[in-house]
Amino acid sequence: MEKKPRHPKKQEAVKAQKSAEKTAENPSMGKRAPSRRPMWTGSVTIGLINVPVKLYPMIYDRGVSFHFLHKTDNHPLRYQKICTKDNAVVPWSEVAKGYEVSKGQYVVFGQEELDAVKPESDKRIRISKFVDYFSVDPVYFSSTYALMPDKSGDAYSLLLQVLEKMGKAAAGRITLRTKEYPALVHAYKGALVLTTLRYGYDVVDPSGFEELGELTAPEKAELELAKKIITDLSGEFDINEYKDTYREKVEALIQKKLKGETITVEKPPKEEIKGLMAALQETLKQLEKK
Amino acid sequence: MKKLTKVSFSNLDKVLFPQLCVTKARFIEYYIKMAPQMLPFLKDRPLVLTRYPEGVDKQGFYAKNAPNGMPDWVQTAKLYSQTARRNVNYIICNDVDTLIWLANLAAIEIHIPLSRVDEREKPDFAFFDLDPEPPATFGDAVEIAFLLKEKLDQLGLRSYVKTSGKKGLHILVPVVRQYTFKETRAFVHALGIQLMKQNSKVVSEFADTKKPDRVFVDYTQNSHGRTMVCPYSLRVTADATVSTPIEWSALRKKLKPSDFTIHSVLELPKAPWKDIFENRQKLEAK
Repeated sequence: MEKKPRHPKKQEAVKAQKSAEKTAENPSMGKRAPSRRPMWTGSVTIGLINVPVKLYPMIYDRGVSFHFLHKTDNHPLRYQKICTKDNAVVPWSEVAKGYEVSKGQYVVFGQEELDAVKPESDKRIRISKFVDYFSVDPVYFSSTYALMPDKSGDAYSLLLQVLEKMGKAAAGRITLRTKEYPALVHAYKGALVLTTLRYGYDVVDPSGFEELGELTAPEKAELELAKKIITDLSGEFDINEYKDTYREKVEALIQKKLKGETITVEKPPKEEIKGLMAALQETLKQLEKK
Repeated sequence: MKKLTKVSFSNLDKVLFPQLCVTKARFIEYYIKMAPQMLPFLKDRPLVLTRYPEGVDKQGFYAKNAPNGMPDWVQTAKLYSQTARRNVNYIICNDVDTLIWLANLAAIEIHIPLSRVDEREKPDFAFFDLDPEPPATFGDAVEIAFLLKEKLDQLGLRSYVKTSGKKGLHILVPVVRQYTFKETRAFVHALGIQLMKQNSKVVSEFADTKKPDRVFVDYTQNSHGRTMVCPYSLRVTADATVSTPIEWSALRKKLKPSDFTIHSVLELPKAPWKDIFENRQKLEAK
């Protein structure tokens, strides 16, 4: 059971203050500092060769997260498990897992039974072949982790260099917690990184959608026009051009609330307006010359 | 930042040309960029607009009368409209702000009369509208346009060509303001008849406008109250085509109206019609 804070409102405010400091020193869209504690240690195994490595998280989903509070007194809310038979609150010790075989029919497991068949993490990333990294479609990519040498600098460096030079990725599998994943190891910004993959059967083959059967072949002229538009709008992809503007706005609102400012809903100057003003400035210059 | 325009924008992310994903912001940007080229043609002419605030695939409407609640800095002229048989409060666009304001109203097409507001009965352009009726093509219109240019050259008249932005071509002869519409119309009609005699593809009588596989040399637009789509105005088409002035030397039979769009026109050389306003000519119809 959680302890009930005596002044939950105050405590919330303090917490909020702390996180605000965090954002202040670590501007919201800046790069994330590497994590210091590995989430997994083991080795990359290629035949008889072992390269001991540590695995660190690399992907963070930094959306805005809110806690649910009770509107009338600002206390945080928590969830409880309620039995559908008698509406009684059920403690964890009385929870079992059921696999639904048909509506309302379950095969019941205790935690020990499931633990017994859990795949064993054998602390190995077992490499079976080398492939072109770009030959694997991104639809299979699940999550990416940084691999760091674990007192294995020379071997790590060799593997990194050779993958980088040949543009190859090592394909194999890894067990993380209770799940085994297909995985790729490739060189990214001077480091080895591991990307877990989805299983082929977990990804829908879109060619099965019947809507595609109704497509007609485009006219040559349309195709030419489309090509022209694409050529006109072609450029280098830069991930930094994309920002979560909702998150930025919410963070700005949080800062204002902390300073006790009242928030008025105002229309922020949009990106589009900036573009229009730049064009207008140019036009006004041209007209002045005339 | 200093305020550059009096216009306050609305619904900038509204998609006006859904096939090309052109938003209202992009559309307004186009008119801002073309303003130096368009303003000389718009100056002192009462405008007719086609507005599509919900996008070109939705219902749009013609607008002659200035809308209610417009800003007080927009210039208007109360004039009698023969077609509407009443006084109409026309918009006059003599500055960038008004053009931007029109764009913000989603005025996709801007049409101009061939005469200016101070002397409405004296056109300053003679206007040939070459309209190919399928299966005649844009290429056929180009062929006839060159024939027409030859005739005008023989008369010592400089002519200027633009795409209509739809199927055909527009050819303009800037004239001194001393003729009536009746006179310019007769001149254009006379040349149309000459072309018809010379080339069986050409029709020049109003009754024949819809004859298939012909190019209609339309003289009827040379009239009080009729309008022409302004050079560089967008058209209400899925491809966001533009009525585009081109050099005669750049006109080719293999060109297509869809070569000139909101995307491509901004990249074109800016002044194919550079001297059109310094070239007011006398018509010497023979």
